[in-house]
Amino acid sequence: MIETKNLSKIYNPGKFEVKAVNDVNSLFKEGEFTSVVGPSGSGKTTFLNCVGGLDNPTSGDVYIAGENITRLSGSDIIQYRLKNIGFVFQSYNLIPVLSAKENIEMIMLLQGIDEKSRRLRTDELLNQVDLYEMKDRRPSELSGGQQQRVAVARALASKPKFILADEPTANLDTASTSNLLDIMSKLNENEKITFIFSTHDQRVIDRARRVVTLEDGKIVSDTKK
Amino acid sequence: MNIITLIKISWRNVWRSKLRSFVVIMSVIFGILGGIIMIAISYGLNEERMNNAVDTYLSHIQIHNKSFSEDYNIKFKIDNLPQIEKAINNDDRVVSYSKRIILNGMLSNSNGSYSIQVKGINPSEEIKVTNTYEKIIEGEYFKSKRDNTILVGKKLADRLNLKIKSKVVITFQDENYDLTSLLYRVEGIFRSGNSRYDGANVFVRNLSITKNLPNFSGFHEMPILLTDIELRDEVKNELIPYSSNNIVEAWDDISKDLAYANEMLAAVLYIFMMIILIGLSFGIVNTMLMAILERKREIGMLMSIGMNRYKIFLMICFETIFLSLVALPFGLLSSYFIVEYYSVVGIDLSVVEAGLENFGVGTRLYFKVPDEQYYIVAIMVFIISIISSIFPSLRALKINPVEATKTF
Repeated sequence: MIETKNLSKIYNPGKFEVKAVNDVNSLFKEGEFTSVVGPSGSGKTTFLNCVGGLDNPTSGDVYIAGENITRLSGSDIIQYRLKNIGFVFQSYNLIPVLSAKENIEMIMLLQGIDEKSRRLRTDELLNQVDLYEMKDRRPSELSGGQQQRVAVARALASKPKFILADEPTANLDTASTSNLLDIMSKLNENEKITFIFSTHDQRVIDRARRVVTLEDGKIVSDTKK
Repeated sequence: MNIITLIKISWRNVWRSKLRSFVVIMSVIFGILGGIIMIAISYGLNEERMNNAVDTYLSHIQIHNKSFSEDYNIKFKIDNLPQIEKAINNDDRVVSYSKRIILNGMLSNSNGSYSIQVKGINPSEEIKVTNTYEKIIEGEYFKSKRDNTILVGKKLADRLNLKIKSKVVITFQDENYDLTSLLYRVEGIFRSGNSRYDGANVFVRNLSITKNLPNFSGFHEMPILLTDIELRDEVKNELIPYSSNNIVEAWDDISKDLAYANEMLAAVLYIFMMIILIGLSFGIVNTMLMAILERKREIGMLMSIGMNRYKIFLMICFETIFLSLVALPFGLLSSYFIVEYYSVVGIDLSVVEAGLENFGVGTRLYFKVPDEQYYIVAIMVFIISIISSIFPSLRALKINPVEATKTF
């Protein structure tokens, strides 16, 4: 469960203040498939940055499974992210010099998982995202959709409780988007992994079971389907 | 993540921009090559100078009377010479030796007078110790039946306009400090490769001196040639007890400037090599900073997903070090082959002959690099690459993952 309490992120405090996230209280339960939507500049990305422990809020707290991650030190938050949160980036951000398999495996290497378990988990994930046949290809040899599927597999590698995805389909065509959403929905349903997306993409919003709308850093609506 | 994986990623990262890495690697290779060739030339020159001095006049060991070195009066002869000769003759480490009468005096003709040192030698003994007989450029090396012939250096010959068969007078003080003059006829002109030596030394038969100084017998200088130059201190120490009136010196005791040059050379070369490598390190740092700038997003992503600062730091360090380490064997090997080639063939430096002669070396320079210099250069490159890696790695740590990834 992710809970934010009075979460605020203010840029340039005191001078030309920009309240990117303004006193947001929210709760995301395990197994949810949520879209955070809103116009550009509404604070979606900043909100997810704070939830993912990448950015420090100006005030307020973020609790993940009861632990206040805003109180964790620099090295502890890195470890926390590594073990508990998976990230999917808009521009995939795969390591170009590593193959699809190695990109997925890297998270587990960071976690110190043994080779046999790593190999099994990597094969399992490659099958889940339907890329087993392309496991030895480097990112430059994969399409955008395939790269994003590798990125999803990488995010799942550490068996995180949550996947945070910022505009994951922004660079994908319709077929790739549909394919990616199918995979993520299946993972959400079968493995009860919590997905939180920030998105503009109506195709993603349509598939979400909960839609949180932000405007000027505040939640203006929270709809469950 | 284990260190092997980090190394693997770093290694692959080096080859992401092949052209850029190639340029840096080539610059390191040429830096190493330039540094080692500089070392080779310096050691070659110094070795040539040292060998020239040892072969031409120093030999490995010399024995004198202690007082002779201070006064140069001919009465100060080597003490206990028969016993010393007996010991030397029975010593397998000694290749040959000679006995010289040394006179310090003036050599004159109608064109002028110059201060010189006369070496009264037995030619058949002397050719086993020094190589002056090989350096004769005009005339002959004591083939005349006359006793009063003289070999003069090219520089002295030029100064006094001496030709073969020219007459010269040597004037010196005898045991009683009375002036004595001897007449000689030039039989040969030598060019040792050391113009200072050629301008201040002449050779005569020792018989020509003893015949004219009936009360004189004995010798002032005994140069000894050993099987190995490294044995000099060992043999020297064994010869010292034969007389407390004698002084036994190795070549580096006699010619302090040559000995110091050897020591100084190593220190100076390290400084030059370090300057070259520091210059190269700026190129490496610049390249790595560019690489980090290009990969800001990727490094931000690695930080986001949980790679800690220590591993990011190490990854960039490895990349930087790899650039140098790839260059190192190529730099060392290319240097080695070039040095080996020119250590046999040599380089003709006759265009700067006059300057080299003043320095005491010949016109063909043979490269020389002691083996340990390759190890030292390798260690220096490694240290410089580690130092070069620190700044880019620290810059990488300053990347803000939020800004770098733009999304998360």
